[in-house]
Amino acid sequence: MYKCQYIKGHRLRTILAAADCIIPAHERLKSAKSMNTIGVMDHAISQMPSQLRLQFLFFISIVHVLGIFFGGRFFSDNSQSDQIRQLKWMEGSILRGFRMGFLGLKTYICMGYFTRESTWSGIHYYGPLKYDQPPPDAVIRHLCQDKRKVCE
Amino acid sequence: MKKHYDIVIVGSGAGGGTVANALIPLAKKGAKIAILEQGPHYSHAFFTQREIEMMRLFRFNGAWPVKSGEITVAAGSGVGGSTLMYTGVSFRLPHDVLKNWHIQELTYKDLSDRFERIEKEIHVILPSDNRINDNNRLFQKGCQSLGWPVKRIPLNIKNCEQVGFCNLGCDSGSKQGTLEIQIPKAVAAGIDLIPNCEVNHIFEKKVHAAIHKTPPGTLDGPWHPGKICIYSDIIVLAAGSPCTPGLLIKSGFQNKLPWIGRDISLHPAMTLYGVYPKPIVNYRGFPKTFYTDQFTDAHDYYIETAFYYPFVATRHLGIWGRDLSETMSAYNQLMTVLVLNHDKNCPENRITVNRKGMVQVHYKLNKQIISSLCHAQIQSSRIFFAAGCDRVIMPCASPHVIHRDKSNPKTLEKIIQTRNFIPIKTPVSSAHPQGGCAMGSGERSVTNSWGQVHGFPWLYVSDASLFPKSAHVNPYLTVMALADRVGEHIIRSFSLD
Repeated sequence: MYKCQYIKGHRLRTILAAADCIIPAHERLKSAKSMNTIGVMDHAISQMPSQLRLQFLFFISIVHVLGIFFGGRFFSDNSQSDQIRQLKWMEGSILRGFRMGFLGLKTYICMGYFTRESTWSGIHYYGPLKYDQPPPDAVIRHLCQDKRKVCE
Repeated sequence: MKKHYDIVIVGSGAGGGTVANALIPLAKKGAKIAILEQGPHYSHAFFTQREIEMMRLFRFNGAWPVKSGEITVAAGSGVGGSTLMYTGVSFRLPHDVLKNWHIQELTYKDLSDRFERIEKEIHVILPSDNRINDNNRLFQKGCQSLGWPVKRIPLNIKNCEQVGFCNLGCDSGSKQGTLEIQIPKAVAAGIDLIPNCEVNHIFEKKVHAAIHKTPPGTLDGPWHPGKICIYSDIIVLAAGSPCTPGLLIKSGFQNKLPWIGRDISLHPAMTLYGVYPKPIVNYRGFPKTFYTDQFTDAHDYYIETAFYYPFVATRHLGIWGRDLSETMSAYNQLMTVLVLNHDKNCPENRITVNRKGMVQVHYKLNKQIISSLCHAQIQSSRIFFAAGCDRVIMPCASPHVIHRDKSNPKTLEKIIQTRNFIPIKTPVSSAHPQGGCAMGSGERSVTNSWGQVHGFPWLYVSDASLFPKSAHVNPYLTVMALADRVGEHIIRSFSLD
């Protein structure tokens, strides 16, 4: 069992919804919207310098609230087309902070998804040739192998 | 804790490792020498070929943005420095680049002799045909069908198992970086290697540092965690650019040498992708064996072959949503190239240290670089299509995905435009930070042509910070040659009395 330390509540709902927009299902590829993606992200966030982590978590809260301007509700409650419209706006925003924040969000979602072994077959990636090398960090290895159930 | 040495070297990468190697004759005569490395000492077994686990080989897990956020800088963190996670590319500094550096006392003959000797020591070879994988073969085919020169990249590898994980640490030890060659020789000769040692401040003939706990799975150093003061007659800074200039600024040297931290270049790079109709074998053979210099003179860039792992690939692609899922579904069909821009020094680009003592790189992508990178995307698209790709993904194209029916050069020029370049959104990275302690004799120089800091005869710089301008090519062999010169100068001027 892996209990998320940082991605909880409205942030969890926001990131799950954003993950579905950033990496939607396609052919053999499942959507990134899963607790397994969140588990890897949460562990990575726990390794961040504390100030950067605070900035990242604050940005997620901004995404959550900003949803009101794009669909009348919080981000995760809006329709997917409104969510995509909001993400596109942030990505190309004239404000550097939004562009940086979006890049951070997208990067962590991609990390949480594409470093997991269950994703690899969907992209035809065969992973490490020396599969059983002992891990420097057993938690991240287990999360990437979906061996730990992730909960809020 | 206090320690006394004759010489300390800060950093163990291409510069630090090589200068340590050059100082072996002194160590054999009894000089006390230490290498202080901020990162851990990794064994081969540590390299697990998994990208999320190996992000720790990079400073800040590979996400070290410049102040504007427009570029992320990749630099190694560990014994071996950036030679831990580079691809082994070992270009000699081009002759005309050295001429343009205008450094008296540094002749091409001097460098050539060193290149030749170092190339033998670190086993630089031109890859043979049996090391050329599909991605490289297709690059060759694409360039040749366009009539462009395609050349082999010199690599420092020995008994390479060709597994393709060079950028995640070489678990077989085939890549002949300083972790494999120079450092073991230096340690065998009696030079102390101190990993997990963060140097915080330089004083005259004195270093303040902190020894950190050994991270799990890495090799222990000889000293216990805690603060340490190291006295040394000679201090050699080889922490790499931007860390060496940063350390000098933090230590107050900028007051006497105002050009510290100036004249920097980053080799802004873009990794570009095309989708081939069939699977491409990228794991076998070597990731980088070819490049073209067709556009080096007129448009300031090289195009090299490349290969990256899934998560890093998503960072380079610069797309999301359906485009990302569709492209990544064909990950094993991705043909990849790396564009390397020869950027010029700009007065606004510099290295500083913030109030918390953190090194910051100030760098803005100017119009000239953006235009060059867009030109490179057009030409890379032509290579991909000439090689047989069905579609390409170009960050400055609108839309980003271009299909074969639009592969005409004129059409590509219309689709790929500088106006589509949005800083931060458009992915640009750097693995070759250079400059900040330029060598030479002019007023902008920080060291003489032997790496000795002006006005401080006990202090040397021995890394890419010495470059007064961009090296144009991957810089490691040039760093090693300059570090070898630094070692020679120290040997000449050092007395054991």
